[in-house]
Amino acid sequence: MKIVVCAKQVAMLGDEVEFTDDGRSVDTDYLEFALNEWDTFATEEALQIRERLGGEGEVVVVTAGDEDAEEAMRRCLAMGADRGVRISIEGIADRDPISVARALAQVVEKEQPDLVFCGVQSADAVQATTGVALAELLGLPRVAVVRELDYDHDAKKARVSRELEGGLIDVVEADTPAVLTIQTGINEPRYATLRAIKQAEQKEIEEVEPGDLGEPAAHVRRMFVPAKGEGAEMLNGSPEAVAQRIAEIVKERLT
Amino acid sequence: MARDPRHDILFEPIQLGPVTMKNRFYQIPHCNGFGSEKPLNQAYFRAMKAEGGYGACCTEYCSISPESDDTHRVSARIWDDDDIKNLSVMCDMLHEHGALAACELWYGGPHAPCMETRAVPRGPSQIPSDFEHLTYCKEMDKDDIREVQGLYVAAAKRARTAGFDIVYVYGSHSYLPQQFLTPYYNKRTDEYGGSFENRARFWRETIEQVKEAVGDTCAICVRMSTDMFMGEPGTQLERDCVPFVEMCDDIVDVWDINVSGISEWGEDATPSRFYPSGRLLPWQKRIKEVAKKPVLGVGRFVDPNMMVEAIESGCLDIIATCRPSISDPFLPKKIDEGRLDDIRECIGCNICISRWEIGGPPLICTQNATAGEEYRRGWHPEKFSRAENADNDVLVVGSGPAGMECAMVLGKRGMRRVHLVEAQDDMGGIMRWVPQLPGLGEWARVVNYRRIQIDKLKNVEFIPNTELDADGVKDYGAEIVVVATGAYWATDGLNGCTHDTIPGADASQPWCLTPEQIMRDGKEVPGDKVLIVDDDGYYMGPSLAEKLALDGKQVTLMTHLGHIGPYMHFTLEAPNMHRKLHKLKVEMVTYQIPTQMEQGKVTSAHVFDEEHLTDWGVDAVVLVTQRRSNEALFRELKDRIGLDALNAEGITGLYRIGDCEAPRLTADCVFSGHRLAREIDSDDPATPKPFIRERRVIEREEAGSLTGAAI
Repeated sequence: MKIVVCAKQVAMLGDEVEFTDDGRSVDTDYLEFALNEWDTFATEEALQIRERLGGEGEVVVVTAGDEDAEEAMRRCLAMGADRGVRISIEGIADRDPISVARALAQVVEKEQPDLVFCGVQSADAVQATTGVALAELLGLPRVAVVRELDYDHDAKKARVSRELEGGLIDVVEADTPAVLTIQTGINEPRYATLRAIKQAEQKEIEEVEPGDLGEPAAHVRRMFVPAKGEGAEMLNGSPEAVAQRIAEIVKERLT
Repeated sequence: MARDPRHDILFEPIQLGPVTMKNRFYQIPHCNGFGSEKPLNQAYFRAMKAEGGYGACCTEYCSISPESDDTHRVSARIWDDDDIKNLSVMCDMLHEHGALAACELWYGGPHAPCMETRAVPRGPSQIPSDFEHLTYCKEMDKDDIREVQGLYVAAAKRARTAGFDIVYVYGSHSYLPQQFLTPYYNKRTDEYGGSFENRARFWRETIEQVKEAVGDTCAICVRMSTDMFMGEPGTQLERDCVPFVEMCDDIVDVWDINVSGISEWGEDATPSRFYPSGRLLPWQKRIKEVAKKPVLGVGRFVDPNMMVEAIESGCLDIIATCRPSISDPFLPKKIDEGRLDDIRECIGCNICISRWEIGGPPLICTQNATAGEEYRRGWHPEKFSRAENADNDVLVVGSGPAGMECAMVLGKRGMRRVHLVEAQDDMGGIMRWVPQLPGLGEWARVVNYRRIQIDKLKNVEFIPNTELDADGVKDYGAEIVVVATGAYWATDGLNGCTHDTIPGADASQPWCLTPEQIMRDGKEVPGDKVLIVDDDGYYMGPSLAEKLALDGKQVTLMTHLGHIGPYMHFTLEAPNMHRKLHKLKVEMVTYQIPTQMEQGKVTSAHVFDEEHLTDWGVDAVVLVTQRRSNEALFRELKDRIGLDALNAEGITGLYRIGDCEAPRLTADCVFSGHRLAREIDSDDPATPKPFIRERRVIEREEAGSLTGAAI
C-alpha cells in the first residue's frame, strides 16, 4: 500500500507587502513560509489509512520547489510520512498550476501509488487546480473537496463524501488509484513531537529533475494593490443603533 | 514599520517654561521601591523608559525634609547634598536618552508617619491622618508656614543642582498644598483658611517662591487633585480648582491634573476592575479649558488612538502614563515604529501599586517581569541575549502565565525549538477563566500579548489538546523540560488557617464547589443561599461573591481574616469592591472559620474563640480556601522515572515554574517563567542567580575608623 501526498510550501503575508522590481510577484522579504494547511490534513489522512491497515505500506510526500521548500516537507515527515521526493524547480511561485501538475505527474507515475492526496487548494494561490489537473494528466479518477473517506484497500475502492456548494454533500464511490483533494476538518492533524521532528531531519528526501513542464497555461503580468474604492459608510453610535442601520442597509440591498 | 500618521501629534515637541520636551509621552511620578537610597536601581529603572521613548520621566514623590518621612513606604528624598548626588545619576541617564528629568517635591503633613526620622510633621490644622493611623501633625503658625515654604525652596534648588528640568509643587493625593486648599484638612480661621483665596494662599505663595528660586532654568509643575468625591469638605473642581488654575496659571509652566485624596487614591490610580482607560478626562478637560499652560495627566492610556483623541479633543496636551509605562517602558517607541501589536498593555491589576501600599518592596508588574530588574538583574524588556545552549530543544508543559512567558522568552533567546504543549484547546491556563470574573476582562491581556508574540516566533510552536504524561515527556525528544502545570483550588477545605481540611468539605458533591469548577467547568451552583469560604485573601473570594450575587444568589462571604480580600486594600480595589458587595447585599463575615459542613448546613467558629460556634443554613458552599500545586507530572518525572533515566533519553534539564512549584500571584508566575528562561544557560538554572543588592558595604579594616554621630 502506498499513498502519495502532494504538499506545498506556501507563502504567508505579514502586515506589509512590497512587490519585486518587475512587479510580478511579492518581495520574499515580506513573506513567511509554512506547510500549506490543507496538506497537513492530507498527510494525516494518509497516515491514518496506513495505521488502519496495520502500519504496512508507505506514505511518500512529493513537493515541487527549491531547497527551501523541503522545510514544509519535513513537517509531513515529522508527522510520520516515510520519505520525500522534491522536484527541483527554481521560482516555483511563478509557475502556474498546470505546469506544477505536469511535474508532479512524472513522479506519481513512477511511484505507482494506490492513492494520491492533494490539499483542496493552497493558502497562497488559492486556485484549487493542481490536484484535479494532476488526475487529468494521470488519467485517474478524481474527487475534489473530500470531507470523509472510507478506503477499502482490498476492493480497491474508496467511498468518499465531498462538499458541494450550499452545504450539500455528495457521496460517491471511486475506483482506486484515484486522486483526492482533501478538505480541512476531515481529521485532526497530529502534532509532531520534538523527537519526531529530529528523526524527520534524518529521513530521505530524493531530489529529481522536473523534466518537460510544457507551456505554462497562465502568466502573472502584474501585481498591485487595488485602489481604494469610494462609498464606504462608517457606522457610529450605540450597538443597537449600528445594528439597526446594518439591518436597514441589508434590506435596501436585498430589495 | 513606520508610524501611523494619525499618531504624529504624539511626537510633536512642546515647550514647558524654560525647557522643551521632545514629545508628548510623560512618565508621571510613581513609586518603585528604590527612592534616592537605591540610586542605581532608581536610575536604571527610569532610564529604561527614556530609552523606550519617553520625553520626560519623573521621580516618585520626593520628600523635601526629614519632617516629611513616609517610612515604612519608600519615597525619594532630597534632604541634603548626598541626596543630590544620588538623584543626579537618574537625571544624567535620562538626559543621555534626550528625556527631561522631573522631581516631585513632596511634603506629607499629617500623612507622614516619620517612622525613621521621628520628626513631627506640620500641617494646616491638627487633624489625625485619614490614611496613616496614629499620625498627627503640629498645626502650623505663621513662622511654620514661612519655614515650610523655605523647605520647598531649598529642595527645589537642590533638585536643580541634581539636574532636574521640571520641579513640582505637588498638591494632590491629600498632601500639604491640597490640605491647605481643602476644608477637610484646613480648619484655620486666619488668612490661610476659610475663603478660597485664603485656602489657596499657602500653595500660591509656595509656587511663587519656588518659581523665583529655580524658575529660570526649571519648569514649574503643579500636580493638583481636582475632586475628592466627598462633597462639601473635599477638594472641588469648580469651587477650588478652576479658580486656582486661573489664579496661578501665570506662575505655573505645566499642570498635572488628577483626582482623589490619599485614602481613596484608587479613584486616581483606577483598577481596570472598576474603570476603563481615560477615566479622568472630564476633569482634565475642564482644567484645560481655563489653563493657558500645557496640561498633562494620566488615564492608564495604552491605546495611541485614545491618546490622540485626548489631545485633539482638548483634554490634555501631554499624555502621562504611570502603569502603562511600567508594563511597557517602550510604549512610545512601539507607537513611533507602528508596532502596536508588540505593546505590552497594562491590565490595571494594580499589583505594582500594592508594593508601595505594603510599604517598601520593589514594584512588580504582571505584564512586565523585567520591571524593577533593570539594574539589579540587568534585564532589558526588549533585549534578549542568545542562550549559550540555544542548540537545545525545549518542552514547556502547560501554557498558563508562567509557561507562556517562559516559552516566549526562550524563543526570543533563540532556542532551536520550543514546544509549548497544553492539555486544553487554547493557551492561557487560569487566565482563560479569571478574566471572565466581573470586571476583570482586561486581565486577558496577559494571554493576548503572549499569544501574539509566540505566534511571531518561528522557533516556538504552541501545541493544544495534548496532555502529556511522564512517559510522554520522557519520549518527547526535548533536551530541556519545563513543567508549568499550574495549581488547583483545594477540594476538601484545606486552608491556611487550620492547616487542615474542613470536615465534610468535598467538592465532588453537587453542593460544594471550587472556583475553577464554577468558572472553567461550568458546574452549577445549586439553590439560592451560597456561602463562600475565603481563606485566600485576594480577589477570588470577593469576585465570586460579586458574580454569584449578580446571578441572583444570596451570598455570604466568610473569611478567617480580619478583612474581606485584605490584599485588595494594597491594590486599591478594596473601597469599590466593598461598595459593590454592599450594594449587592452580600453578607461579609470576618474572623470565622468553618469547623464542619454538610449539605444544607455549615458550622463555623470565631478564630479567637473557638467555642463560639455559629450555624449557617446554606444551599451551596464555595471553597476559596487555598491552592495546591499540580505537581503530579513533575514528581513522576523526578521520582518515578528519575533524572538518570531522563538523562539517558537526552534530557539534561528538568525544571518547574509558576504555580506548579508553589501557588503565587500571577505577576510572580510570569516572573518565574521569565527568570528561568533568562537563566536557562546558567550553571544551575533551577536556582535564581544572585542579583545586585544595592547597599552600603563596609570593609572590616575601615570599620574601626567609622564612627556614628557624636555623643
